Amino acid sequence: MRNVAIAGVGYTNVFVSKRKDMNAPEMIAEAVDNAFRNTNLRPEDIDAIVIGNMQTFEGVNLPHLWASEHFCGVGKPVMRVATGGTTGMSVVHAAYYHIACGLYDTVLAIGWEKQSEGDSQVGLTGIVLPEALALVPLGLDMTGKQGMVFSGGGSTGAASFQAMSYLAKSGGTIEHIDKMAALERGNAALNPYAHLKVPNCKPEDIAATPIVSYPLRFGHTCPTSDGATCMVMCSAEKAPKIADKVAWINGLANCASEPTTGNLLEGLLTDPAEQMPAKIASKKAYEMAGITDPKKEIDMAEFYDGFAHQSMMWSERLGLFDEGKAPEMLDKGVMNLDGEMPVNPSGGVLCTNAIGASAMNRVSECALQIMGLAEGGHQVPKKVRNALAHGWGGLFQYVTVTVLGDTPRKM
Amino acid sequence: MEETRLVQATWDLSQCKFKISGDGMKVLLEGLREGVFRGIKCPQCGTVYVPGPTFCRKCFIDIDEVVQVSDEGEVETYTVELADVRGNPVEEPTISCMIKLDGADTWLIGVVEGIDWQKVHVGMRVKCVWKDASERTGSLSDYTRFVPIGD
Ligand SMILES: [Zn+2]
Repeated sequence: MRNVAIAGVGYTNVFVSKRKDMNAPEMIAEAVDNAFRNTNLRPEDIDAIVIGNMQTFEGVNLPHLWASEHFCGVGKPVMRVATGGTTGMSVVHAAYYHIACGLYDTVLAIGWEKQSEGDSQVGLTGIVLPEALALVPLGLDMTGKQGMVFSGGGSTGAASFQAMSYLAKSGGTIEHIDKMAALERGNAALNPYAHLKVPNCKPEDIAATPIVSYPLRFGHTCPTSDGATCMVMCSAEKAPKIADKVAWINGLANCASEPTTGNLLEGLLTDPAEQMPAKIASKKAYEMAGITDPKKEIDMAEFYDGFAHQSMMWSERLGLFDEGKAPEMLDKGVMNLDGEMPVNPSGGVLCTNAIGASAMNRVSECALQIMGLAEGGHQVPKKVRNALAHGWGGLFQYVTVTVLGDTPRKM
Repeated sequence: MEETRLVQATWDLSQCKFKISGDGMKVLLEGLREGVFRGIKCPQCGTVYVPGPTFCRKCFIDIDEVVQVSDEGEVETYTVELADVRGNPVEEPTISCMIKLDGADTWLIGVVEGIDWQKVHVGMRVKCVWKDASERTGSLSDYTRFVPIGD
């Protein structure tokens, strides 16, 4: 196995609700162009491309083929990866395996979503619809209260079960979720590539937004964004030719449990706030990266937090704080941009959510923090040696983890 | 050009033939007709599934031991729908709960009524409200809701 470096990142110029001036392939091309601009990469250096976006959201079945000319993919190996919310990080992992195994030296990893061109809610409905339709003949009234409850009211409805369970376990309050959201909206204001930016956001600003599905408010939820990210990944040998500064992928893992939402068919076994896969995957990734005490050795983290309570939950499940301690750490300012364990300096998924890029941006943001290249004031003030990136999705039960470092791991 | 255009269409769901072969679901439905919850227990790890799969998801072995569980249980987590899909406040908020029935290891989704939503809490004890025996047909609609009982 060989070490793999991240040699550069290209984002679309903006992440916004509706990117009206271009179509999806053109939007992907903008991120790829920016990756070229930010590195010494030449088109002939690219050995293979891994690309991903959320299944069904744009209503286009084979978008990677539609866009192949726009990401320099003609005549080259192309692989599409689609693992729901985690897609962007699964793309990074697939690109890592391409290089680590020795078959390819330089790979473009691309994550994108143009949510304004499709109907995300229809896409999400497709996740539970087969089970719901199978239950209708057995007496489930989809139009009545039981049906509404079963379908969980979409993603937020299902996440609210998780949020309430997390609050009950940790002793946190809805005010802590307000505070977490305010922290991230404020961080986003310092990130030129964030979508929802609220300079100096206060918990009271969040608390003034209406409840969507108790205990989650509108201000606790992520937007739907258009945007793309392109990462240049390469072997240690190629790295110096492509970029002056690189970050290293030193540990990676993924893990699934059974579905923790829906599953009326065969009995729901798992608390959606338990997130055992996060514990298992992070343990494996830390071991691979040679990290024995993540509380001390990890300098900052980027989590997949579609909903604000999750940044607290993940920081515990991924071993950065003891179980139940995150609300206290938040109150103490530990999770602030200038705190001891900055969480989502970019504003996180909570503020920018082009789904296929969302989990990738966790990795790219950690890489930029390590390189010292985070723009617009969201670079954390301390030196970042090791960073933790996390992706989440599936039926609330699939987790990807990447540990990055400023030096390559010892083989 | 208009930013959003609407195209009217229908989706013929009769073409979607998703099926349940589940013997475990059959066990549940037959029990519901009698006004009881029944699931399937794994002889190896003791996990009780309601409704049961026909294999244990932990041990990965076939299971078929039918067990009856209580129609009382505990709220494990919940949410309250205070607004409709358009964001308009609803007159009667729906309290959706994940309920672990006594004797079961799995969670069942159920509506809880008969309590102010602000008084609902994790750990709250609830009991199933059944349809009259004459109206029960062995269907998921045989139990309509749950109501709180003393802690
Ligand atoms: Zn078992």
